[in-house]
Amino acid sequence: MSDITTWICTGCALLCEDIQVYTTNGQIEKVEHACIMGKSRLTGCKHTAKPMIDHNDVTVDKAISQAANILKNAHNPVLYGWGNSTSQAQIAGIELARVLNAVIDSTSSFCQGITINEILQGQIPSCTLEEVREKADVILYWGADPMSSHPRHLSRYSYFPRGDMRQHGYEEDRKAIAIDVRQSRTAKICKDMFYRIPPGSDLEFMKALSDALDGKVPKLSFDMDIKRLLELATLLKKCEFGVIFAGLGLVYSIKEDIHILSGLISKLNELSDFSLIPMVGHFNMRGFNHNLFNETGYIHKVKFTDKGPVSGVEYSIIEQLKGNADAILVIGSDPLASLPGALSKRMEDIPLILIDPCENLTTRAADVTIPCIASGIEEGGTAYRMDGEIIELSPFIQSKGMSDEMIIQRIIKEIN
Amino acid sequence: MTSVMEIYQLLPKTNCKECNESTCMAFAVALLSGSRQYTECPPLIKDDKYHNSRIKLEEILKPIQGAEETGLIVHEELCSGCGNCVVACPVNVANDPHGSGRGFGPTNEKVIFRVIDGKVKAANIEECRRFGKNRIMCNACIDPCPTEAIEFV
Amino acid sequence: MAVDIGRFIKAPEYNITIITYRDVFQAAVCEEDRFGSEYQDLSAVIILDAAQMKHMGITEGSNVRLTSKHGSVVVKTRASPQQEQKNIGFMVNSPWSNALVSVDISDGFPGYKHIEVTIAVSKEEITSQR
Ligand code: SF4
Ligand code: SF4
Ligand code: SF4
Repeated sequence: MSDITTWICTGCALLCEDIQVYTTNGQIEKVEHACIMGKSRLTGCKHTAKPMIDHNDVTVDKAISQAANILKNAHNPVLYGWGNSTSQAQIAGIELARVLNAVIDSTSSFCQGITINEILQGQIPSCTLEEVREKADVILYWGADPMSSHPRHLSRYSYFPRGDMRQHGYEEDRKAIAIDVRQSRTAKICKDMFYRIPPGSDLEFMKALSDALDGKVPKLSFDMDIKRLLELATLLKKCEFGVIFAGLGLVYSIKEDIHILSGLISKLNELSDFSLIPMVGHFNMRGFNHNLFNETGYIHKVKFTDKGPVSGVEYSIIEQLKGNADAILVIGSDPLASLPGALSKRMEDIPLILIDPCENLTTRAADVTIPCIASGIEEGGTAYRMDGEIIELSPFIQSKGMSDEMIIQRIIKEIN
Repeated sequence: MTSVMEIYQLLPKTNCKECNESTCMAFAVALLSGSRQYTECPPLIKDDKYHNSRIKLEEILKPIQGAEETGLIVHEELCSGCGNCVVACPVNVANDPHGSGRGFGPTNEKVIFRVIDGKVKAANIEECRRFGKNRIMCNACIDPCPTEAIEFV
Repeated sequence: MAVDIGRFIKAPEYNITIITYRDVFQAAVCEEDRFGSEYQDLSAVIILDAAQMKHMGITEGSNVRLTSKHGSVVVKTRASPQQEQKNIGFMVNSPWSNALVSVDISDGFPGYKHIEVTIAVSKEEITSQR
């Protein structure tokens, strides 16, 4: 007889809570309802990490002491990663940064940070995914391709399910629109409501759309039927509950001009009801921003000083790796694979500590590797879903190893 | 999707009747429906000049062999387990309104689609709206699939 | 400033812009076996408009060398099933695309979504991860 457990998937920031895992004697036999990414997250990696110093096997205790030493002796240590950690581990990490007067940052400094900041500052209204399911009639995927990044996004919440106010389902009750530079898998589903724009022209499109909403004749420098733009404006005006899912395509196009997006959304809110949800990738990437905000008033790019925490672009992971960092602790991330290759050399040159359940590209540059158990599978805690809801994770495998939170706590103890 | 013509073009086209069908075209139709195997065409098997045709037939008929009786095929290698078909199929919705109909994984056994180990699996195909007395040309699973992983043959 | 590799390459070079995107199958493989050949097969690829490939004399499936100011990699080509905008190539986020990304920025945002490269047919093998 197999045991059935309900698991909250940590494969992405949708944190699907309906996954059924069948186990016999602790061995996973079958998993139901998880998409292929969730299933892979559960299966885990083929190459697990081992405790190492300078690529030689050591005990975990030794690795932790060495990590503490490196951090203590650094003038400008940087703590980076955090998207795959529970809120509890993140809060411990913020404490570590405080103890060290370190810089702490996550991928959000070049990712969804700007949209999350606008939401936390009250500049952009947001809503929950449940509200999207029950109420949304117009769904706009802007520079976002959830079919490729959050596979169950459309089926769980944003398009296909029947909601309280959308009983007829997607065919009649919802309109899905995609704005993108390529016909993504999501754009395909949106059919003739796909608006293809040239790379980098999101701002221009936004301004034209805003003009159309004002009843002015919109102008575009690229090839698109203005009628289609007017049609879109009418649809947005008429909608009862609209949601914009902002993807990286949009974020990269607007960057500091985020106020133009906020402006468009407030205009839409004069005409109807509109919210924005950022397409956050890793399962607790959003949590890092919230937790750091709660502790410091900043969402990322923070440096602790004797006078308190400060924030600025110079404390972003990229700028730090270009300049000041003289030691880096990486947790639940693979910067050698995911950051620009131009920064690899720098990461190889400075002392690098890696905390991760798996061997990855960064392992090869790591001076110290400390394996941790898998958050949400072997260790519990909470995480922020992409819409900012706090979700209690549901670990179901008992492991002997240490969680990332425990490792951070141990490092703090050794430093003090 | 494989067509009758595509299959026919790979047969000897001599209408020799050795397969007991009246024409090669009739045999092609039988192959497409899955009721006959290409190995039941004696010249195709015996004559080496059909070697390449055999390989091609084997390849294009493979998905058909795997088809459920009603002709529904899921190309698992293309499926991402997104669940769009699970939530969109009217049979899933009717038989599991509070589960599949609301976007969750199915909560009972009466559904057609369910995602297992990250890939969709089909069951209860006899319930599919494309079959039976009041059949309709339902597209509700094919249309929302982002990767064209579902087809009917 | 262009990187001086001209003397190693005979094939004509073209300028294109690469936009990166995500792929669920590649992400799933990355999770399970990030050093396997499947991960490389799904990552070290550039997708181009079919007509433009023809114009550039690139046959589908052949290797090309992509070179930016910041790095250079050899990847496989694939024709897009639909028509794409001119002079644009698409790559899945991976160490291969990241090798080309610019950090000559001051806002903390690397140039992931806009990578200017030259592309040239290459007989070399696909660049290995390390
Ligand atoms: S969509 Fe995300 S959270 Fe849901 S099953 Fe897939 S990977 Fe897991
Ligand atoms: S054709 Fe319609 S009824 Fe049949 S399986 Fe597909 S969605 Fe369901
Ligand atoms: S819609 Fe397609 S990809 Fe999604 S679960 Fe169904 S068959 Fe798989």
